[in-house]
Amino acid sequence: MRIIIPIKQVPETRSVKMDETTGTVIRQGVESIVNPLDLYAIETALRLKEQYGGETVAVTMGPPQAETALREALSMGVDQAVLVSDRAYAGSDTWATAYILAAAISKLGGFDLIVCGERATDGDTGQVGPELAAALNIPVASYVNRITNITGSWCVADRRLEDGEEQLQITLPAILTVVKEIGVPRLPTLDGKIRARRTAIPIYSQKELQLPENRIGLNGSPTRVVKIFRPAVARQCQLEFGGDDRQNEQAVAKLFAFLQGREVV
Amino acid sequence: MVSIQYNPVTSVIAEELREIVGERYVIFNDTEKLEPFSHDEIPGKGYRAMPEIVIRPRTAAEIAEIVKLANREMIPITPRGAGSGLSGGAVPIHGGIVISVDRMNSILEVDLKNMMIVVEPGVIANEINEHVKEHGLFYAGYPMSLETCFIGGNVAENAGGGKAVKYGVTSRYVLGLEIVTPTGEIVELGGKLVKDVTGYNMVQLMVGSEGTLGFFTKIILKLIPRPKYQVDLLCLFDSSESAINTVPRLMTGSGYIPTSIEFMDQASVKAACDYLNESIPYEKCGAMLLLSVDGMEEEQVIREYEAIGTLCRECGAQEVYVADNASTSERIWKIRRNIAEAYNLFYPRQSGEDIVVPPASIPEMVAEFRRLEQKYCVPIPCYGHAGDGNLHARISSDPNWTDEQWEEILPQILAEVYRKTAECGGRISGEHGIGHKRKKYMRTVVSEEYLNMLRVVKRGLDPNNIMNPGKIFDL
Repeated sequence: MRIIIPIKQVPETRSVKMDETTGTVIRQGVESIVNPLDLYAIETALRLKEQYGGETVAVTMGPPQAETALREALSMGVDQAVLVSDRAYAGSDTWATAYILAAAISKLGGFDLIVCGERATDGDTGQVGPELAAALNIPVASYVNRITNITGSWCVADRRLEDGEEQLQITLPAILTVVKEIGVPRLPTLDGKIRARRTAIPIYSQKELQLPENRIGLNGSPTRVVKIFRPAVARQCQLEFGGDDRQNEQAVAKLFAFLQGREVV
Repeated sequence: MVSIQYNPVTSVIAEELREIVGERYVIFNDTEKLEPFSHDEIPGKGYRAMPEIVIRPRTAAEIAEIVKLANREMIPITPRGAGSGLSGGAVPIHGGIVISVDRMNSILEVDLKNMMIVVEPGVIANEINEHVKEHGLFYAGYPMSLETCFIGGNVAENAGGGKAVKYGVTSRYVLGLEIVTPTGEIVELGGKLVKDVTGYNMVQLMVGSEGTLGFFTKIILKLIPRPKYQVDLLCLFDSSESAINTVPRLMTGSGYIPTSIEFMDQASVKAACDYLNESIPYEKCGAMLLLSVDGMEEEQVIREYEAIGTLCRECGAQEVYVADNASTSERIWKIRRNIAEAYNLFYPRQSGEDIVVPPASIPEMVAEFRRLEQKYCVPIPCYGHAGDGNLHARISSDPNWTDEQWEEILPQILAEVYRKTAECGGRISGEHGIGHKRKKYMRTVVSEEYLNMLRVVKRGLDPNNIMNPGKIFDL
């Protein structure tokens, strides 16, 4: 089985500061790491490989330094890595990114499964996985928390939704975006690090992919950021005080009525 | 031993103290608010004592006035930082006045030309680093409680911590102090000087004096260039022995000095990993070493960690995990930092030991703890700073024992631990201090003549025995 893992390099969120005037992330001097949720995708792919055999390939699109993220994936045990990088791809939104990644993945040859993290901690859209499925015209299951079975042409996956769990049987090749419950990522090992340092990482640029200019970068990105703002959190707090039995009863009755009014109880 | 006659804090004295610091900054006659000042982080209730009054001054001049009043009225004074100590240093065992430095929390000056920083005692240790980071500088003190402890307490206890293997302990970085003496004078010791032999080294006498010789009001610290790269290795071994025996080889065999060499035995690892829901395969490992390497050049750091990690594999490490970014690093350091917390959950009665021996004697000490575990049927998880010979062992009471049983057995275990420590040429505390917790064991590792020297110093500087009396030794 051949599994592709698209990953993203993001700023280390604990050290991130916001520019108060523009509302954007100050990236300068901030350490970059593999998107923490992508580590779960890597873990999923590695476990599937351990169970079913095959090969895992990590792919990322980004500036040359995104190679560090790929080496981290390699050091966790991923077999191969590919960097998609070209100035022409800068400014791509999720749609253009998915388009470019789809082209890169097609160039990699066949695959059975693509495993993505649920979303990236910087953009927080969760769109690239499903958009990649659209670009490649294959089925997608998002928010997967368990993969119960894979046969030659089927994959059975559980997904967690707001109102319950769903079990899907989908045809391969397919895309799964996974959530944290899928399994805690392993740590990179010394042997893995040494191997990762020695592994050559091919770069796919515009020269290799030859994508039409109106589909990539800013030109290929329908998303327009109109305004960035910090949502105001409005919390209304109502305090009920107890005391003697009668007051306690009244307070409880009010709380009960409040919760009933909101259909909580 | 001289019996001490102290006077109580009367409401008249409380009023006078209010006039010195302002009414808002005095806690008096309020048991609930005084209680937090009756203990530090020693588990259990055995070493607690209530203050009669707590004062929160802002300036050295205020402290000088308080100290003079205390001498006049014969009331003991106990200085207090964040209260994160582990030997009772900040606990007012004779009652009296507790002076909290929490309001004296300004960073007074970052002197870039001299690479020094001048701070007040109530600054949180970690804040110093946050403050100098942007200048590419670094304060190398790194106690495990760095996010809560105050620098004043660090200096008073000569705190060690996780980076001491390479960077040494707090004392190495203290160049100058402004102190209020036990008789109420404000004196400057040392200064922004890298070298200074103008008289006795009073700065270093104060460092680690546990609040018994003076009250620090200003601290001048040396800064060093901030290492740009750090990589942590988490090494899993079959047994404590194989992990511990690797340590001396690391120091001599790899050609590099790691920043940290932290040891965790199986019980410590299990407690912390269970507590954190950590999924690394710790069940099959008997002990772990957490090693850090840092430096200015990435290539150099990679070379060092590969050499050190490979040596660990040669010494039998089952696996070596590598953390070269902040989030992975945090994940593995969390294990080390949460051992104490995890143990507090499972064992209500413990004695946290802090012995220090010549680094090469660590395997011998670990073996001794194993023997005592068998002999007394108590769990004694061991962890700590193996690279500098400082071992933390938490002698833990069987939860089914009564307090009386524990009180009876613990001193027997401690006597054996300290006897072995002395045999190895070690001491009973490496970085937590003596306080009133360990003072009765001083004679197991030092001579009466040595203690007499300490007494002469104490009597000379504090004739009324006002400053933190009853700590380290009895007069």
